Amino acid sequence: MRAVIGDYTIRVERRADLRWWHTTLASVLAIVVSLFLVGFAFLRVGADPLEVYSEIVKYAFLSEFGLPQTINRATFVLLAAFALIVPLRAGLWNIGMPGQIYAATLAAFGVAYAFGAKRSVNVQLPGELIIPLMFLAALAAGAVYGAIAGFLRGRFQVNEIVTTMMLNWAMLWIVAHMIREGGPFMGRTAEGEGFTLPTSLRLPQILGVPLTVYIALALAVLLTWFLAKTTLGYRIRTYGESPRAAEYAGIDATRISTLVFALGGLLAGLAGYHYFAAVPGVFKIPKNYADFGDFSFYGLITGLIARNNPIAAIPVAVLFGGVSGGARFMQGKLRLAFGIDYALLGVLMIMMVAFQALAHYSVRVERQAAVPRPQLELERGESRVESPRH
Amino acid sequence: MPLSAQGESDERSVGAARERSAGRVVLEARGITKRFGTVVANDHIDLTVRAGELHAVLGENGAGKTTLMRILFGELQPDEGEIYLDGQRVRFRSPRDALRHGIGMVHQERKLIPAHTALENIILGHPKTGAILNLREAEREVSALCERYGFRVPLHAKVWQLSEGEKQIVEILKELYHGARILILDEPTSVLSPPEIVKLLESLTRMAKEDLAVIPFITHKLPVVLEHCDRVTILRRGRVVAEMETRHATEQTLAAAMVGREVVLQLERVEVPLGDPIVRVQDLWVRDDRGLFAVQGLSFEIRAGEILGIAGVAGNGQEPLAEALAGLRPVERGTITLDSIDITHAPVLERWRRGLGYIPTERREVGSIPTFSLVDNVLLNYHFEREFSRWGILASGQARELTERILREYSVVAAGPNAPARSLSGGNLQKVILGRVLSRKPRFLIACLPTHGLDVGAAEFVQRKILEAKQSGTAVLLISEDLDEILALSDRIAAIYEGQFTGIVPASEASKELVGELMAGLRRERV
Amino acid sequence: MSSLLVISLAAAAVFAIAALGELLEQRAGILNVGLEGVMLLSGTFGFIAAKTSGSYLQGFTVALLTGALVGLLHGFFSITLGSNQVVNGMAIWILGFGLTTYIGYPYTGPLGLKPFPTVAGLPTFFLVALALAIAIWFLLFKTHLGLKLRSVGENPSVAEASGISVTGLRYLAAILAGMLVGLGGAVYSLVYNPVWNYNYLQGWGFIALALVFFSLWNPFLVVAGAVFFGILWQLSLYPELLFPNVFSRYIWRAMPFVITIVVFIVLSTRWFRLRWGATKPEALGLAYQREN
Repeated sequence: MRAVIGDYTIRVERRADLRWWHTTLASVLAIVVSLFLVGFAFLRVGADPLEVYSEIVKYAFLSEFGLPQTINRATFVLLAAFALIVPLRAGLWNIGMPGQIYAATLAAFGVAYAFGAKRSVNVQLPGELIIPLMFLAALAAGAVYGAIAGFLRGRFQVNEIVTTMMLNWAMLWIVAHMIREGGPFMGRTAEGEGFTLPTSLRLPQILGVPLTVYIALALAVLLTWFLAKTTLGYRIRTYGESPRAAEYAGIDATRISTLVFALGGLLAGLAGYHYFAAVPGVFKIPKNYADFGDFSFYGLITGLIARNNPIAAIPVAVLFGGVSGGARFMQGKLRLAFGIDYALLGVLMIMMVAFQALAHYSVRVERQAAVPRPQLELERGESRVESPRH
Repeated sequence: MPLSAQGESDERSVGAARERSAGRVVLEARGITKRFGTVVANDHIDLTVRAGELHAVLGENGAGKTTLMRILFGELQPDEGEIYLDGQRVRFRSPRDALRHGIGMVHQERKLIPAHTALENIILGHPKTGAILNLREAEREVSALCERYGFRVPLHAKVWQLSEGEKQIVEILKELYHGARILILDEPTSVLSPPEIVKLLESLTRMAKEDLAVIPFITHKLPVVLEHCDRVTILRRGRVVAEMETRHATEQTLAAAMVGREVVLQLERVEVPLGDPIVRVQDLWVRDDRGLFAVQGLSFEIRAGEILGIAGVAGNGQEPLAEALAGLRPVERGTITLDSIDITHAPVLERWRRGLGYIPTERREVGSIPTFSLVDNVLLNYHFEREFSRWGILASGQARELTERILREYSVVAAGPNAPARSLSGGNLQKVILGRVLSRKPRFLIACLPTHGLDVGAAEFVQRKILEAKQSGTAVLLISEDLDEILALSDRIAAIYEGQFTGIVPASEASKELVGELMAGLRRERV
Repeated sequence: MSSLLVISLAAAAVFAIAALGELLEQRAGILNVGLEGVMLLSGTFGFIAAKTSGSYLQGFTVALLTGALVGLLHGFFSITLGSNQVVNGMAIWILGFGLTTYIGYPYTGPLGLKPFPTVAGLPTFFLVALALAIAIWFLLFKTHLGLKLRSVGENPSVAEASGISVTGLRYLAAILAGMLVGLGGAVYSLVYNPVWNYNYLQGWGFIALALVFFSLWNPFLVVAGAVFFGILWQLSLYPELLFPNVFSRYIWRAMPFVITIVVFIVLSTRWFRLRWGATKPEALGLAYQREN
């Protein structure tokens, strides 16, 4: 496409190849523009967006209370992003993180419940045995719940987007059944909340953050290596690039899709374990557990912005972990309506798609020395070719 | 539309070379030149086509036929030269524009929508179709066209149900319906069995009589050209080397003009002593994507050092047969054994481990992954081998070495083992696929259209490698739509028609005529 | 029992209208997996308009306009920018989910208008859905425009060569689809269950999407499937009718989602998958770049 304005010609062309800085720039621009747009919500209540954002940064990254919260939220987002990335490398969409997170959480608390953890916060239980059991149960439950969608996709070609969505809702209500109206996991004191984990069953911390944070960081490296260097990783990538070529190469579609969804579910399950059984100050299935299901969709957009790269997902997750938590904090302070972090999520997603698409186009402005043409003239495709009618 | 000056008798037997005083000039191209970078694809080409004539353009692959064609129907703009239509200078902005001027194009790859009926395809986009479809009216008009030119095609069948020949007719009808007076056909004979070719050319001749100009562009099948066309223009290396009336030409003069030297002989078939049967297929039944039986009770065996060629028009069950043998399509009935082991329902990998090698038709969709490096593409056939995957970790050094060896031994032109597959030309990519498969020293090789669309050099190279494999004792199943290739390479030839063998003949007894009739389903040998 | 049927048909109207919109656009080769987002946006804005003005007409007008705009947006990403349509759809869904949660929150609660009138005891919008199914069937299979739309969905380059504007037709389909899907969302929030709650749609948009896949792109099968799912959902919401006191009410709320998945599995026979592969618009979800 070409537009001529005065002496200048603006050319918009599709790039043949994208370089890494194009995509990085697109991601950064998407984030900046989204924050700018959401800033209008603060303007509406008479606050200065710049000030609000500086307060968000101060709260999320510099305050004693906010920073650990940011790290924990970022870990949650990062693990949810991994849960998207692994299946997406095989060309499949896992939007079932909420369901997988709930399933894993129920399993972890189920193990604790079985050992009588519901009796009291102070009950002394062998943590060195039960904590690993809870951890493994969470991973296994996430993996199994994820694998359902993958198996159905591979075996019956049932669309995985629809299935994972249905599984999310089903598990949402099952959690409600477990913690509300006399459900088995209901806490003794508060109605509609899960029981609190005894101190003896809480995951140890290092430098003030739970062990799961370090596990998540190590996983970023491990997953990168796994996808690039192992045979399974190769098969996953092959299937993702071309299912038909994969079939030719003897790669079993059902096995691959079940595997990637099991892995995705396992990673989401880890996120669930992390937030509900390892983050200080939580240690239970809270009333607003559904908010965390929704929050895991930040993982979806983190994975997309990081373009399926587990290590690149780290800084993105830290940013979103901080900004979303900080925005919630400011929402309370400014008495904004509920859901400013949801609005940011929506705007981010659409901007990310827009900018990643726009990264494919180059814009060049050229100055013409020739005769000035005052009128605006748009030319497209075919008509650029000389024709008898001109 | 009155016929312009033509003295001719209607009784003339169709099919014989005809004499006809030339009609007025309808299409004239003067000095057409087109460059791509430094390559001159068309170098001052002149072409004069008269009303009522069947004017063939001959040339080998790479002679510039395709470029000239694309210029004539408006897909490319010439760098130099002019096109005149009925004496008026014209410039086509697009194929649509060319059609408005009466130039219709029938492509080699079908430009039809398989899910629609033939009739829907024909009337699609025509202004007179009107807001609400009036299929009865349209059918009447199209049927009239069919009757006029002797075409027979079920108009209400979905295009996917039609044979390749019928699809081509639908496309011709579509161009005519949309007002083409000059019809360009790209290799119209390539998808047809010999008897179908004769029928098509008879129809084209009838069209030519009605003051339409028909220009087939043809690479092979010279006798047919001599018999049916009035005039030929011969291209070589982007230039016109001859223009003559067919009654003054012989097959030899045409061939010599096309090639520019004595015609080289086809590859010599190598006789090697046949070994034990490697593959045995018994009463094989396979369904296609739509659930219909595409392979109906095939039985055959191939011995070590033998090439069994499957001759057939595209879409007669070759593809499902190959896929079933390779494990990509379930077998409904029957058995497949490899070295006496039943592999009828064995998974793909087990077959490869037992010595299967498979070169699929679709190089870029199935045989390779365009975005992957050549190393990763070579791994497609090696990722399951222990030497290439130790404790689940890819042995990348090993894979790289193998890739480099293939690139060397098959003289592949590529930037290196890490170049993405999409950067390779079709011929070079096919060499990589072939090298990858043959390096496994397969006991049983399935080669599907191994030279389709390759230039002469690459095609010859591929054929030579297949012969080498045969000499080293591989049993080869060669599936090709190029009858010459089948005849040149195979030890035995099985003709396939609608999923069944109409005959299996040894090469010594196979003539082009015999196999042609078999693959058209006109006769059956005892199988 | 008959009131159960009536409410089932009201639910069916939501599924059917949204799925018919999606069907129209998929026939033209555009895949929008973000139906849920379109329905949330249209349903929420329509709800706010109706609640503040007290007029259904205004509510539906706003919903249709919103749908058209979102359809246009999805079209711009998918047609003009040519980016991955599944990602685009995801973006539309998350946008709808995120924005409506924030914007709609102050309007949480019932609509507070008189119930929407019915026709002869039947839900009005079910009749609308039936009429739409017939209209879309006629459009697709009996008109030249429909033939062109289907051609664009099967093979855009052939369509272009036949003188059809692929871009124009795809935009038309995307906008019309956006309006229909949006209408479906508004039927939910204004008629079927006129109480706003964040994320009130509970994945119905995804079920409508699945309905299109399972209908083999046939408008009448879409309506039949919608009625089936409408009944299924009502039965599971009023379990006491069939199985009194078996599970807690939360388990019953999880049930329709589980049953939906089971239905998908049962439907996905080999026979069905063969038919599915054969009828799927060949260019579905693929961007089209005109060759120059």
